[in-house]
Amino acid sequence: MKRLTVKTIREAAPYQQLVAEHGSPLLVLDCDLLTQQYKKLSSALPGVELFYAIKSLPHPAAIDTLHQLGASFDIATSGEIELLREQRAEPRHTIHTHPIKRDRDIRDALRFGCTTFVIDNIYELEKFVDYRHRVGLLVRVSFPNPDSPVDLSRKFGCRPDEVEMLLQKANALGIHVKGLSFHAGSQCPDASNHVRAIEACGEIIHRYNEQSSRSMAILDIGGGFPVEYVGDTAEVDIDRFCAPIRAALATLPEHLHIIAEPGRYLSAPSMEAVSRVMGKARRGEQVWYYLDDGLYGSYSGQLFDHALYPLTVFSDHDEREAAVIAGPTCDSIDVIAEDVELPSLNIGDLVIGHQMGAYTSASATDFNLFERATIVAINRDTESDSATNLLHLAYR
Amino acid sequence: MKHYAETLYDSYGQEFRVDRLYFENKTDHQHLVIFENALFGRVMALDGVIQTTEADEFIYHEMLTHVPLLAHGNVKSVLIIGGGDGGILREVCKHTGVEEITQVEIDDQVVEMCKEYLPNHSAGAYDDPRVEIVIDDGANYVKNCDRQFDLIISDSTDPIGPAEVLFTEDFYGNCKSCLKPEGIMVTQNGVAYMQLDEVVNTALRFKPHFADRSFYSAAVPTYIGGIMTFAWGSDNPAARQQTLETIEERYQSAEIKTRYYNPAIHLASFALPQYIVEATQV
Ligand SMILES: Cc1ncc(COP(=O)(O)O)c(C=O)c1O
Repeated sequence: MKRLTVKTIREAAPYQQLVAEHGSPLLVLDCDLLTQQYKKLSSALPGVELFYAIKSLPHPAAIDTLHQLGASFDIATSGEIELLREQRAEPRHTIHTHPIKRDRDIRDALRFGCTTFVIDNIYELEKFVDYRHRVGLLVRVSFPNPDSPVDLSRKFGCRPDEVEMLLQKANALGIHVKGLSFHAGSQCPDASNHVRAIEACGEIIHRYNEQSSRSMAILDIGGGFPVEYVGDTAEVDIDRFCAPIRAALATLPEHLHIIAEPGRYLSAPSMEAVSRVMGKARRGEQVWYYLDDGLYGSYSGQLFDHALYPLTVFSDHDEREAAVIAGPTCDSIDVIAEDVELPSLNIGDLVIGHQMGAYTSASATDFNLFERATIVAINRDTESDSATNLLHLAYR
Repeated sequence: MKHYAETLYDSYGQEFRVDRLYFENKTDHQHLVIFENALFGRVMALDGVIQTTEADEFIYHEMLTHVPLLAHGNVKSVLIIGGGDGGILREVCKHTGVEEITQVEIDDQVVEMCKEYLPNHSAGAYDDPRVEIVIDDGANYVKNCDRQFDLIISDSTDPIGPAEVLFTEDFYGNCKSCLKPEGIMVTQNGVAYMQLDEVVNTALRFKPHFADRSFYSAAVPTYIGGIMTFAWGSDNPAARQQTLETIEERYQSAEIKTRYYNPAIHLASFALPQYIVEATQV
């Protein structure tokens, strides 16, 4: 995807309308797009129960939309549990996936009604002794992925050869381990690490179920399903991406319940950032544009998530000049884009960031006490507001 | 909400059809739901766990109340910890010999909601002039209480949540100091087959405080997984060893109407299955 697109002034109208209504900066969450992403992933992974990883975009409208589609939820904290509670999600369809928990976190989850937890070491296992009659655990196994920009197997997950020891220890403590989980890395370029992990876990489960009187019945294949950011050449075809995963899953015993924890794939394409130029300056050869949102805000994913978001500006002129797009805070690191060729923008003009649903507002800070972008949800099926429907058409 | 799935256990559970939702709220302390089910009538659940249903509540409330009351034989004052639905209060109030009843409930919203949506549980008992309601943490109350009672009944939720403190040795010790010398303490102690730890823990924690300790039981259909146990602690071993004749006589003269409790059940309820006997020999 290209870093920068210039559209005509006329095409800015629906965004202007939103800003007139809700102010700036905004993040516009399109619930229809979220629905489409969920349906695409569901059909690419038939028979796999999808637990939306709330952490990627913990917003009530996103939870509500997915809940109505029948999604389950992956939670990591008590804060996320509160959000689910408010949205009346079914506790039976939640799993707690944080490998490291305080006693209070376990209790909060149990009180909510979540009884599935993830562990990857002895100390964590021992925390469940008091709750052993109530819970079923998944052991998280590590499969490092050097090709993923966000490797999720460095900090968490035991080595495949440590699983057996944990299972024995769990049995000795009377704690039921019901399956394995892994996270193949976020934004995976291809599914090869998923396939490797599925094969290795399938093998461990098979061996355990042969040798033990107990059985593991769940394999959690994590997240990692990719979307397009700047620099990605090919469009993501999720069905094609998942084909090797489907093939690997097909070799597993039929009784195994397969689940996944997608975050990014569902949330990223569903949200756009709408920011306004709040100042400009000519410094040397370049024009600096200062937006009302930046790296300490919605664009925080450029740092934490290693993502580069496609941008759109609006102009009816053909001339371009070298420019820098910066965020509003006092820190020099707060630069969204450097060395871009932009048409001349005026103070008050809009800049749109695309693919900005996942790990954006979720990791925004309050640095300088700049207001965070307001999230505006459109196309919620509870509303039939004509203005938002218009906008929806303009997006396509 | 179309169905209510209890989330007490990960791999097993009961589910109710919700024929009508009366109330759902996350109170300050806990998540409270009251709904109608064709088979069990009005059902109340807290934090994903069924607390009481109109259809089978009589078993639990009668057994937690009449067994210690009639075993004691001369109860004048009763302290109820928890019991916000009013069922224990209703049963205690049936005994005309009881002069003072204090109930300590942590969550006043539970009391209000139950009065409104489960009126048959309390059946007007909250208006009984002998009753004093205190909204406070039960553990806090017994710690600072300078009164002494003939009977303490702990009708709590499970140990995960605000009731955690009602399962500690400190709490049992403080209760002991609020008991008269011949007094009896009984507690809700969970379904032993499913959660044997709870029985073992109570046996251990009662030990330093009560000369005579035991459990008794009753099967309550919606407390799934087998018999529910009640813990028993007292310094008067005779209370637990009354003859059938004595209990029969007290039951007759109390003139109470019961549906589960009777003198034969009273005596039989102290007979425990071997797995509980062994687990509680601490
Ligand atoms: C345990 C766990 N599950 C799921 C996810 C979601 O991953 P993704 O957004 O790549 O689908 C993450 C991301 O950090 C995670 O840590």
